Parts: sequence; C-alpha cells; structure tokens
Amino acid sequence: MKNIGHKIVFLSFFVLILVQANAQRFPKPEFESGYEQPSPTTPEPRSNALEYLDVLILFASLSLASWLVIKRRSRRGVLWLSIFTLLYFGFYREGCICSVGSIQNITLALFDPVYKISITVLIFFLLPLVFALFFGRTFCAGACPLGAIQDILVFRPVSIPVWVRKALGFIPYLYLGLAVLYAATGTDFIICRYDPFVGFFRMDGPYTMIIIGIALLLLGLFFARPYCRVFCPYGVLLNWMSRFSKYHMTITPAECISCKLCEPSCPFDAIEIPVSEKVRTQKVLRQNLKRFSLYALLIPVWMFIGGYAVSSSHVLLSKAHQDVYLSELLIAHPELKSDTKNLDIKAFLESGKTFDELVANASLIRAKFKSGGWFLGGFLGLVIGIMIMNQFVFRTKTIYEPHKGDCFSCGRCMDYCPVVKLK
Amino acid sequence: MNQETKLKLLKQIILISAAFCILVAFLLIVNFWQMKKSNPLESQTIEALVQRLAVDDNNEELRKEIRSFDLLARKAYFTSAWQVKTGAYLLFFGGVVLALALKIRTDIQRKIEPPETITDDPMMNKFVSHRWLLVTGGLVFTLALLSAFLSNDYLKSYDPGQFVDTETSSQTETIEVIPIVESVATEKGDSAILSNAVEPVPQAVAETGGAPDTPKTVVKLAKAEDFKKNQSTFRGFLGQGISFHKNIPTNWDGSSGTNVKWKISLSKPGYNTPVIWGDKLFIAGADKTSRVVSCYNRHTGKLLWEKEADNIPGSPATPPKTTDDTGLAAPTMTVDGNCVYALFGTGDLIAFDLDGNRIWAKNLGVPANHYGHSSSLITWNGKIVVQYDTAKGGRMIAINTANGDFIWDIPRANKVSWSSPTLLESKGKMLIITSADPNVIANDLETGAEVWKSPVMSGEVAPSPGVFNNIIFVSNEYAKTVALDAENGGKVIWETDEYLSEVASPVAINGLLFLATSYGVLVCYDAMTGENVWEKEFSSGFYSSPMIAENKVYIIDMSGVMHIIKADRTGTIVKEPELGEAAFALPVFADGKIYLRGKSSLYCIGE
Ligand code: SF4
Ligand code: SF4
Repeated sequence: MKNIGHKIVFLSFFVLILVQANAQRFPKPEFESGYEQPSPTTPEPRSNALEYLDVLILFASLSLASWLVIKRRSRRGVLWLSIFTLLYFGFYREGCICSVGSIQNITLALFDPVYKISITVLIFFLLPLVFALFFGRTFCAGACPLGAIQDILVFRPVSIPVWVRKALGFIPYLYLGLAVLYAATGTDFIICRYDPFVGFFRMDGPYTMIIIGIALLLLGLFFARPYCRVFCPYGVLLNWMSRFSKYHMTITPAECISCKLCEPSCPFDAIEIPVSEKVRTQKVLRQNLKRFSLYALLIPVWMFIGGYAVSSSHVLLSKAHQDVYLSELLIAHPELKSDTKNLDIKAFLESGKTFDELVANASLIRAKFKSGGWFLGGFLGLVIGIMIMNQFVFRTKTIYEPHKGDCFSCGRCMDYCPVVKLK
Repeated sequence: MNQETKLKLLKQIILISAAFCILVAFLLIVNFWQMKKSNPLESQTIEALVQRLAVDDNNEELRKEIRSFDLLARKAYFTSAWQVKTGAYLLFFGGVVLALALKIRTDIQRKIEPPETITDDPMMNKFVSHRWLLVTGGLVFTLALLSAFLSNDYLKSYDPGQFVDTETSSQTETIEVIPIVESVATEKGDSAILSNAVEPVPQAVAETGGAPDTPKTVVKLAKAEDFKKNQSTFRGFLGQGISFHKNIPTNWDGSSGTNVKWKISLSKPGYNTPVIWGDKLFIAGADKTSRVVSCYNRHTGKLLWEKEADNIPGSPATPPKTTDDTGLAAPTMTVDGNCVYALFGTGDLIAFDLDGNRIWAKNLGVPANHYGHSSSLITWNGKIVVQYDTAKGGRMIAINTANGDFIWDIPRANKVSWSSPTLLESKGKMLIITSADPNVIANDLETGAEVWKSPVMSGEVAPSPGVFNNIIFVSNEYAKTVALDAENGGKVIWETDEYLSEVASPVAINGLLFLATSYGVLVCYDAMTGENVWEKEFSSGFYSSPMIAENKVYIIDMSGVMHIIKADRTGTIVKEPELGEAAFALPVFADGKIYLRGKSSLYCIGE
C-alpha cells in the first residue's frame, strides 16, 4: 500500500503505451505520385565501452543487492535498487541485454559453431548464477528488470495453495527446456519473443504482447511476481544455485524464536514453516519410504515416456522454424509460390535458394527436433519424477526460514521479525 | 466528519470508481474485439472490389466505390483509435481515484493482525501436491503425444521437383523416357502427328542419380485412333467438337423412357460432361463436403467404382465460393486409356487408373475465380493440358500423365476465363489454342512456348475455340466472333458481332461454322467468309455446345430438348427429341449410343 502512488502511475503508463502501440499500426499509404519511401536504417551496435559499463553496473547492483539484503537488512534499500534497475536495464537499455534471455545465446553458441558469443553476454549469464551460489537470488531482488517491474506492483498478495504452486512449478522447466531446444536448433529465441514486459520498456510492441504484459501485471497485484514464479526459465537455474548458497539471507537477524510474526509476510509463499517430529508415526514413515522408493524407481519410466512423447511431437514443435513453416506453407498452398505480397515468400525468393533446398533443410531441422525431443522429454520426465519423489521427503525443521530456492531475497520478511541482534 | 462517516463515504467512492473502471475496461475490450473482428484495414469488401477492378480497370464507378469504402474503413479505424485513447485516460483517472480511496481507507483501518494459527498439515499438502504433479506430468506428455497424431507432416508429402518451373527445369538434367509405341496403321488423311499418334514424349524426370539410359517409367500411350474411338475429352477428339461414331440415335423421350437404355440418378451435382474409355464411362461430381469421380459400365449403367478426391496436400479446408451455375465440378475430365484425370474447383487435380486406384494427386493452387473454375482438361501425348486463368493471373500448364509432375507451367497475361483448350495440328506441331481476355493464344504442346497470340477477345470468356482447316473460331458475348488463321500467326480472317455466344463453344465442319447463343439462336456461318448461311431461333437458350456426329449438329438446350440438324447449308431439322430434364452438359457419343447428363440423372440412349 505504501507505494500505491507510483503503482497507479505505472498502470496508467501501461495503458498509454497500449494506446500508443495501437496508433502506430496504420499501414502506410501506397503512393501513386512517384514518392519513394525512405529505406529503413540499421542502428549502430552499442560500443564496447558502454557494454562493459553494463557489465559493471550489473556487478555493482548484484553486490549492492547482496549487501543490502544480507548485511544492511534494508528492504527500503533493495526497493530503491530495484527501481534503479528497472530504469536502467529496463527503460534505458530497453530490456536487452538480459540474463534471462542469455540462456539462449549460450545454447546457440554451444550448438552452432558459427555463432560467436560476446564476452558481455557470457558474463551476464554467469554472474547472477555465481552470486546466487553464494548469496541466494539477490539478482531477483535488485538486478533483474523483469523482477523489478513485478515486484513494485505487488499490491495485495494472496497465499497460493501448495499443490497449485507445485503443479505450476513445472512450467519454468518446460519453458527452459523449450527455450534451449528452440535455440539449439536455431529456430527462435522464444524467451525474447514472448518476453511480456519488453513491450513496456520499449514503449512499443505487438498488441497481444502488451495485453499479456498488462494481464500479468494485473494478476501480479494479487499473485505476486507471476512471471518469476510460473515462467522464468532463468529462475530455474538461479533456484538450483541458490539452494547451495552459504550466505543466504535470513528472516531473523539472530535466533528465530518461532513467534510466527513473519509467517504471512512473504508475498511469494517462500517461507518454510517449522515441521515438528510428531506428525509422523512409524506407520506413516514406512508408508512414505515405500512411496519414495517406488517413485524413485519410476523416474526412468518418466524419462522414457517424456522422451517418447516430446520426440513424437517434433512435427508440431518444429513448425516454429522459419524454413519448416515456409516449406509447409508452400506445399500446402502451391499457389503462393510466387506471391511476393507475403514477406516470407518474398525473402525466400530473393535468397535465390531452390525450393528443394528449402524442403531439405526443413526436413533436417525436423529430424533435429525429433532427436532433441528425446533429450527435452527425458529432462522433463526426470524433473517431474524428482518433484513427485520429493513429495515424500520430510525434514524436521524448528525455525522459520526462507526456502533457499524459491526466495527472491526481496527482504520484506525481515521487517516483521521482532528479534533484535545484540551488538 | 467522524471516522464512521468517513469510512462510509470512502466505501462509496471505492465502489463507484471500481465500477467505473470495470465499465471503461469492458468497453475498451469490446472495442478491441470489434476492431479485431471487423478489421477495417483489411476489409474483404475492398479487396473483392479491387480484384474486380483488376479485371475491369476502366470502371470509374467501381473506383469511386472503392474510394468511399476506403474512406469508411479509415473513419472506422480512427474513430476506434480515438475511443481507445479516451478510454485509456478515463481508466487512468478512475484508477487514480480508486487507489487514493483505497489507500486512505487502509490507513484509517490499519491495525496489527494476530498471526494465523497454522492449519496446514505439511504431510497432507505434500500428498495432494504429488497427485497434482502426476496430473501435470501426465497432461503435458499426453498433450505432446496428442500433437503427434493431430499435426500433419506436410514435408513428407513433398516430392522433389514439385515446384520446378520452366526456368529451373531447363537447367535440371532430364532423362528421356521412351514410351512403348506400337506400330500404328496410318489412317487416310491423317497427318503425320496424328497418325504417329502420339510420338514418344520426352518426359521430364528430375535426375536422381540413376543411370541415364534406364528409363524411370515406361508408359504406354494411347494412339490417335483410340482417342477417336472414345469421346474421352470435353468436345471429343482434340476438343474440336466432332465425333467419329456411327448409328447415333435421333429419337428418344426421356420422360416416357422411349429408347432409354438405362437411367441413373447422380449422387453429386456437376456441370462436367461424362467421358468414355472402352466400356467405361466416367463422371465427376462435387458439393461442399466432398468431390468424387464415378465410373460406370456404359452398357449396363452399373456403378463400378466411386472414389473421393481427398487428402490432397494443398487442398483448401473449405472449398472456394462458387456460383450455383458453375459449382465445384464444372471442368470435364479427360481419360487416356491409362488413367482418368479430374480437376475440381478447389484446384485439386487427381488421377485414377481405370480400376479406380488413385495414382497421384496434387493441388494447382486454389483458383481465384468469382464463378468457379470451369476450364476442362485435355490430354495428348502423355500430357494433361490445363488452362488456368484466374483472377490472380493466368497459367498454361502441362502435367505429366504418369506422375503428375509439371512438364511446363507458364504464366500469361490473360485475365480470368472459363473456356477450355482446343488442340490443333499446324505446321507439324501440336498447338494448344486457348481463348481468354484479351488474347487468343497458341502454345506448342511440347514446350509450352507461345507460337502466336492475337488480342481479339474481351470480357468473361467461356466459349472454347472451334477449328476448321487451320482456321480458328472464337466468340464471346459483348465481344465478337472472330475467325483467325492459325498458320499465319493468328491473323484475323473475318469477324462479326451479329451473333455472339456466351457459354456454348463454336464448332465447324464442311466449311460451315455453327454457333449457339444463350438466348436460343443457332446460327450457321460460312467458315471462310463469315457469311450468315442460316439461323434458327428456339424457345430455350444454350449453355451446352453443339457437337457434330454423322454430319448432323446435335445441340441440347437448357430445357433438355436436343435439336438435331443437318450440318449443311439447308439446316434441315432432323428431329427434336426431349430428355425431360434440364441439361447443360454435352452429348457423349459411342457407336449406336448417346449419353446425356441431365441436371440430376445420367441417361444412356440407344435405338
Ligand atoms: S525469477 Fe527470473 S524474472 Fe524473476 S527476478 Fe528472477 S531472474 Fe528475474
Ligand atoms: S526475502 Fe523474505 S519475503 Fe522476500 S522472497 Fe525471501 S522469504 Fe519471501
């Protein structure tokens, strides 16, 4: 409620962008008077020095975020930092360069020997992960523009039932897997294509993108950080790293006295409550162990089913590739083969490639999807298998703690803790 | 104001502003949805009008209409843009009021909430979660599997070279396929090409690495005399409208059954004329749901097979719009003894062997045609000739009968047309003669090369060219009737605009040209001079074309009356038997028999 003013300003701002995006869609007139449309120009790439500046600022924000949340324990500080990040990496750098999207550059570089990855992108990919490995997801707290735009708009968060969270928690893995598959086959950078907030940062974008962005932000008023929790593929990697973090933030500055005051404080349901010994009878324990072993044994089955299923969906998945799409379009509608009004066809005709070459390449891509589908499906099967198995693992816990993987280190919970650290 | 009234007031403000915001948001969404649905920027009306303008580009009225539609579309667009903008500001304003009221109320009401007691049972939570995870995993993988069944792999249906057109095919190495040709008895009066029937055709087969001297496919091609024996094409042998059959009946009555050997009702509508090979008669029909080719025993009327033309790559999911007087099965099929070939208004071209096995099929591209595609197929020398003039441009196409490959595919400047090609041998070459707006064109059958063209036609051309001794006759309503010299670059010999045919194609024999109009006049001209020899007016008009058999003109009018008239300068009416139902297709002749397609039935007539 504190930041209601700028929340509203932001909201109205989005609506205005929406209007703006709409107004630009009118097609240019066809001139008969001989007027020539000026040809578009490509902007210069960003200079090296400025790229290093980006790296520097990322490093600084990560360090500052970690310091603010772990040492200074200042939610206010983290908030201001995230506003800066939103302005700099969001609105000034227009959401690109971005650690979340860098997954795809890394993948493409691994699979396509011709594709050269810049050192900046590599650092953007690695640095937040390294920080997460030591300090938790401080990147999400103060250095990610996508996280920042959602975090500022957390209004009346409601607690989401565990089972919903668990089930939705599978989506980021799916998204990550698909993003890697599409990047590895050189098909598309889907994380960037479906980035819901970049339209705001650039104050332009397809109508549907803006609508989805607005919908997500509206949803975020109640379901805090929906993109981070249900979609973000980079979040998967950060989550893994953060689980090992030694210096992760804590709710209490000293000893947790289990006063329960912090319990409702996390908008993201990331606080784990104490689990006492007594819920478990011997019988239950035995049953759990049985289930645990059964599901552990089933993991390879999940992997096989996943691999088979995803691989057999390769026809559908590969349709997103330009060559596959174009080949199928032309096979299905041969009458379009010289339709220069269709920009894709025009581009193909101008490329001088023959149709046979196009179809051959499309078939190759499709074959890649078939084999890649086995890996993706196997990975997803593994993930779901482990997730299910984990539902039968219980650890005794006596204090209130953030879940190291899920916690965004935003620092909200700290203010709720009545314990004071004695100097 | 005390706390109580303040809260009351705030509550009202919150309710009103929230309702206001919801209303505005709703209106904005409705506006967006409307724009999406009607999409004035891509108005179909304008597109249709522009297409019409392409055909008829001097029409000032049409231009004005397009401009006013365009203005309307722009107005609609900008009005909506204004609405969106205003709505956005209103929403913003409402949002600010709502937020302020909310904030003040929360500030007033703020109090420390006691922590909730833990009601969650972590065990239970995990147990429920594991179930939902099972559901999620199952769902994702099932959807993936389902997609495997539902998605169509078009790449598999591609055969290399499918898109090779003339320029590229000349660069591809080709293998000559030598058809087995049996020695042919030369008929008296037959010219070289006709008697050798159908010379070995070099059929283009893309080099696939096989030894160059091993033919890929060996197809036995029919001879000219076989084609003469069977009315296998629209307007018979070479599409010239002349039958070589004997003992053609002249007397029947469809309603009482006199001389009707058999009559069957047809399962699907179509304007195509039946074609015959040997003992088999083929007919095509189509409606919105499916397109079929049927084969009957022509002696007994027994249905031998009926096959659907379906699952053709590129075939549109919903067939293009056609008018009722054209439909989707207007083109007449063609048969060459090996296969029967059918073309439908969807652009689907399909080959069945005579036993009904599907040999190949392809889509030529959905024809843009405001009535429906109607140009019939003709086959000669291992090629199917397709005249494919659509509103998006014209094409002349030759397709390999053996495998459906393009032999050549040539774009041309003609506008959309409904006429069919006629073949004519001239100077040792087999020419394809086609009539469309603006050009009558002669193409070499072997190479597709344009031999000559003559810009004498205009309008929506439906009648096909007639032929007599190297003279070509074309006609169209609102244009003229012209005789062209095929040996002399299509030079005009004579022309008249006295009687013009709208649909029926002219036919010529014995130095006489017969022309039928859609308002019921049959006229006979001197083929050399264009002099009117005789004319007869009948009560019903003609869509079907005159055919010549045993020196008589057979022409059936729209009411189903066949007018049989001597094909000479006297024009004596021989007989006028009635079918008893409307008829648009041509009579099909076989020795001693005549087959007539009525609107819904097929008749075999024999005396
Ligand atoms: S979860 Fe993803 S999007 Fe959200 S803050 Fe972290 S990296 Fe950014
Ligand atoms: S820092 Fe606290 S409030 Fe923020 S995500 Fe972590 S547990 Fe939740």
